[in-house]
Amino acid sequence: MRDVKKIAIPEYDAIEKARRHVIALMTGAREAVTPLTFTIHYPKERKHMPDCFRGYILFTPENCINCWQCAFICPANAIRMKKASDNRYYPTIDYAKCIFCHFCVDSCSRGALRATKIHDVAYRDMDEMLADTEELVENPDVHREDERYVDYVLNEDDAVIKREKGEDRFFVEIPPPPDVRFVARCADPESCLGCRICEHVCESGAISSVVVNGVREMRIDEKKCSGCGLCVKECAMQILILVRVR
Amino acid sequence: MIAFGDLFRMILENRANIPVIEQMLGGIPGVDLILWKPFLALIFMPGFTGLMIVIMLMVWIERKLCARIQWRVGPREVFWYLGGLIQPLADGMRYFFQETIVHRDAHRPYYLQFPILAFIPVLLPLLFISAGPLIAIETDFGVQIAVALISLISVIIIGFGWAANSRFAYIGTIREAFMYFAYEIPFILSVVAMLIIYRTGNTLHIAEMQSVPGALLNPLAFLAFAVTMVMATSRMPFEIPEADQEVAFGPMVEYSGIMFGLVMTIAYEKAYVLAALMTDLFLCGGAGPQIQMLGDLSGAIWFFIKTFIVIIVVFSLRAIYPRYRIDQAMKIGWTFALALSTAALALSVVVSTVIPPAMGQ
Repeated sequence: MRDVKKIAIPEYDAIEKARRHVIALMTGAREAVTPLTFTIHYPKERKHMPDCFRGYILFTPENCINCWQCAFICPANAIRMKKASDNRYYPTIDYAKCIFCHFCVDSCSRGALRATKIHDVAYRDMDEMLADTEELVENPDVHREDERYVDYVLNEDDAVIKREKGEDRFFVEIPPPPDVRFVARCADPESCLGCRICEHVCESGAISSVVVNGVREMRIDEKKCSGCGLCVKECAMQILILVRVR
Repeated sequence: MIAFGDLFRMILENRANIPVIEQMLGGIPGVDLILWKPFLALIFMPGFTGLMIVIMLMVWIERKLCARIQWRVGPREVFWYLGGLIQPLADGMRYFFQETIVHRDAHRPYYLQFPILAFIPVLLPLLFISAGPLIAIETDFGVQIAVALISLISVIIIGFGWAANSRFAYIGTIREAFMYFAYEIPFILSVVAMLIIYRTGNTLHIAEMQSVPGALLNPLAFLAFAVTMVMATSRMPFEIPEADQEVAFGPMVEYSGIMFGLVMTIAYEKAYVLAALMTDLFLCGGAGPQIQMLGDLSGAIWFFIKTFIVIIVVFSLRAIYPRYRIDQAMKIGWTFALALSTAALALSVVVSTVIPPAMGQ
């Protein structure tokens, strides 16, 4: 109890009280004339977002190699892979779960998932929030009312708001990732159990098996292999590796 | 019995002189009645038109100004080009079409009567307040009658709380009663202090008499009047009875729909009446540069501009001050304001001996 300090209410005399009232009223009057309002009038104007902004996600199926990395890495379990008509699996995003961390975009090795600057992702009901692959392919239809975009400009002592006419771009041109190909290879064929999980898991049909002298041998066709790494992930003996093609 | 001819002569004698209307509408029979000064006062300046402008605009101005001081924007979406100007109309429509609920515990007749009865003490003081040369009823006891009627408003508000019969209304009503006692005596004393100087209660004469503004003749009374006016209209530093964060509009908590609309405007009407009284007592009434075209209306318009500025200043306190506790407000009322108004009374006695009584008459 010795360390407890009791703080008394400050006692001001009449002159000090009157002075403080006058200061309060003058501050109010000053702000009424020249307020330092920082509000952005959102539907009419938008904040200018940086190009790395994490917004609505777009998908390019031509670049997708079916590696499932986006679904594996999603911390909110928002991405599910859906089987398309060409027997391949493509991501769908549930925007009810998505937390816009963009781990999926970062993990996509071929740049099939792209970020946009659309931050107002709103739907009428829960069913609409599940964005199908077809929906992710096309640029979304955004109802725009904005005529200006706004930047916060920091001076030495103050921050001011800077408005500029025109619409802010939603879709950022991101350069494609370097064309680096990987293929799966078996590092230790003697340890192979012949369980054929890799064969089943491969969607591009690169892995086949033949029985030679009663022993099952797996063969990987490197021309067909897309380098998705699913077999590497699923191999029970962990003897498959991804190798970079020079 | 007054003969019809006498009545007509009376109207013609007490006719407001407005050159613009004379030129435009001269000769039309009904114009004489409209230009009859008491009638003009009733429908135009201290009366209906002024009150409507205040009620319509003040809700919007209060919200916009407080938002501006607090770095917000305020209402904006309803009518974008004028900054949400018709937002009060939209709110009014909502009040109008909302269901008025009378809950089971309420005292039904009084619960429905009081919001309408409240208009009697709120609107009657306007008859005795002059706007420039316009006044509805000219009497030597105008200020006294107005103050007496204004004092009745609190009784009506306590009536709201009694008829509503709920716990928040109860708390708000008790607070209103405490505040009423705390501000009423300093308020009346500060008005009496000014009446000692002017030696009449006729607002028309009072306004004409002030070659020097009453606020400079007796600054203590002006300060006491200003503080008690803020307490009486329960604006922000003293918004204790209807503190919406604590007791959700206090005595008015149970009202809904159009009844809440009526109840809510009472605070604005009371602020208008008190500001008008302040303009007449302290701020030279309708004195100002004369506009020849408008004639008698010029004074009325100057009076209204002053009143409007007073209301804006009082309402903008909402953005500047936090709310006092009830005990702090009672302390201010019973010590600071009472001492100030008593000192103002003493100062008035001194001033009225120094200044010759022939100041105006």
